[in-house]
Amino acid sequence: MSKEKSAPGAVLGLLSSLKLTLVLFFALAAASVIGTLLPQEVSLLELRDHFSPVAASLISLLALNNLYHSIWFRILLLLLCTNLAACTLERLPKTIRLIRRFEAPFDAQKLSKFGLSSSIAAALPLEQTQSVVESSVCETFGRMCRIESGQVGGLGPFCAVSETGRWSRLMVYVVHLSVLIVLVGALAGSYLGFKGTMNLIEGETSDKVMLAESESVTELPFALRCDKFEVSFYDTGAPKEFKSDLAIVENGREVLKQSIVVNDPLTYEGITFYQASYGTYLKEAGIELTDPDSSKKIAMTLPFRQPVTIPGTSDQLMIAEYQEDLMRVGQAIELVYGKKGQQSSAKWILVDRPYHGNRIENYLVRVTQTDKARFTGLQVKKDPGIWLVWAGFTLMTLAIGLTFYSSHRKLWVCIEPDKKRKKTIVTLAGRASRNEQVFKEKFEALRASLENRLKNPSAPHEIRGHKTDKKGTE
Amino acid sequence: MTSSFLLSLTTFAYLLCTFLYLAGTIFRFKPLLVAGTISGAATLLMQTAGIGLRWVESYRMGYGHAPLSNMYESLVFASWAIMIIYLVFEWRVRQRALGVFPALFSFLAMAYASFSKDVDSKIQPLVPALKSNWLIAHVMTCFLGYAAFAVSCGLSLLYLVRKRFPENPNPHGGFVAFLPGASQLEWFNYQLVLFGFLWLSVGIITGSVWANSAWGTYWSWDPKETWSLITWFIYAAVLHARNLQGWKGQRVAWLSVIGFGCVLFTYFGVNFLLSGLHSYAR
Repeated sequence: MSKEKSAPGAVLGLLSSLKLTLVLFFALAAASVIGTLLPQEVSLLELRDHFSPVAASLISLLALNNLYHSIWFRILLLLLCTNLAACTLERLPKTIRLIRRFEAPFDAQKLSKFGLSSSIAAALPLEQTQSVVESSVCETFGRMCRIESGQVGGLGPFCAVSETGRWSRLMVYVVHLSVLIVLVGALAGSYLGFKGTMNLIEGETSDKVMLAESESVTELPFALRCDKFEVSFYDTGAPKEFKSDLAIVENGREVLKQSIVVNDPLTYEGITFYQASYGTYLKEAGIELTDPDSSKKIAMTLPFRQPVTIPGTSDQLMIAEYQEDLMRVGQAIELVYGKKGQQSSAKWILVDRPYHGNRIENYLVRVTQTDKARFTGLQVKKDPGIWLVWAGFTLMTLAIGLTFYSSHRKLWVCIEPDKKRKKTIVTLAGRASRNEQVFKEKFEALRASLENRLKNPSAPHEIRGHKTDKKGTE
Repeated sequence: MTSSFLLSLTTFAYLLCTFLYLAGTIFRFKPLLVAGTISGAATLLMQTAGIGLRWVESYRMGYGHAPLSNMYESLVFASWAIMIIYLVFEWRVRQRALGVFPALFSFLAMAYASFSKDVDSKIQPLVPALKSNWLIAHVMTCFLGYAAFAVSCGLSLLYLVRKRFPENPNPHGGFVAFLPGASQLEWFNYQLVLFGFLWLSVGIITGSVWANSAWGTYWSWDPKETWSLITWFIYAAVLHARNLQGWKGQRVAWLSVIGFGCVLFTYFGVNFLLSGLHSYAR
């Protein structure tokens, strides 16, 4: 019976333990290290190029090649969130109790058990002692608030507290909350938004975005046109600026024109377009084939990635790839030669150089003209969760600062008459939630000044040195 | 006078400062420590002038950007940040015997920036990705954090040295007696970890806000990002471990040394060993 009852308690205890927090921090750190050392987002086939088959399968099995998106990494993050929530559940009620307005009655004996406490025997009557203490505490700690001792009758002890920064104890929960807000925002973004790319040729309009993850295409509710793309360079040859003049077209009507550069994207209806890359697109190329046996020349025009039958044969030729600068020897096209019933062959042909290797099958190839266009590479993103992430970041910054540099400081004072010795006993106790060292120094200073003022009532500490001097000379 | 002259002079001045602190601590001779502080402060001023001059020079060359854009400039700033954080710390806690490691780190950062073949000290124009107001905020916050962690690492090392010797050492028993007590060192270390953690967090946040406007994603698990997160995890562990029984003290000191190791890897290891989006930091 008791075991059944304690089982959920034990689970909560484990989930809310600080040890689990540390284990999770180390586990997440170690996992992230592995993620930076192994190639990420590569297929099993590519892994086999770098590792032995066994190692490659193991990496793939544990999803170490896509670690940050793997289930086990997400479980670690989920555990961290659970740990955080469990800690809050366990500790927040205690904290709230601690900072509630209500102050339980206390007495000198209770105060003397504090880690930081001190007792002074004053030679003054109660009322005067009280006013001295009040003025001293007000100067250094702030206003005092009297607490009813709970004793009935006139000559009870005077009990009061002075405190500042009560809210400071809640800040650590705000830090933890902000971490959750950021993660929820990231989750919202990954489920409700998308990320993709768009390559827009100058002058063309498109509404199709290649999605990053699924390798599929999505259509935007509007179209985007690129009017112009410009790239400028410094004297050193380093790129200076990439700029695209874009226009949003909705139902055939242009609704917005804007130029974007890196670091200054365009947002329309929650979808943002970032300048990411640029390149040259080959529309078509004219080529001339020479048959070395008959010296017969054949001229053809090949649109990019469209097979064209070679006149007089049943074979086909296609430009499969285009490179602006292939291995630093200039422009090149990749030709694919297709013969019926046979495997096709492919060959890189240099555009600007009449190189003897410019051959495919037994033809000599020469590129006579190229028709090219510039395209701008855009990163396209929709992220409805981003506002949560920004809110979480702002909250995190503020709350970390406040957690570290504010503290709940509380000073308890109890003044009671000691009838036997005709003295008044002042008991002080203090506690700070943070920066205890600084608080301790302040407490000591208060104690020393009170001791001065209460033990030598005839010599208020401000002018004490002066008075004794006088005494000496008289 | 050029910025490169001032910054070369800074390198040697930090070496002198390191020797003064070291000699002052070893021979327990206070005037040497005072000289260490004075030379540290003077070098810091000279370095500030050097950085300012480099900024002006970049405008003269027509590039016009804050000197925080490549490995060389970030190393100079790191060295500057370590020294200013240390000097403010020294002034706040009134302890002079702790300057050896911070001064050494400042010197090493400057020496590496000046003499390594991997680090190009030329003023270069900004590539498009770096042209953003976030550049200053991101680099400054990150390096304030890194610098605080450097000082914290120095304190942790001193703490570990202090712990090797008995608590009540013979007053004439060598330089250890000259150091503050272990609990005080632990407290100083904690204060610097707090400071560093705050700035590292702000640095990661400004970085991801910037990445979002430059690349369209605030987090892409780029090696530099990931390593800064690893560092963040380690220091978060330091902050939490301090409340755990048996961890406050030596284990926390070791953790903060490991944390600084992560900082160094985030800074150098990622730049030279791993490839990623931060390649201009080379």
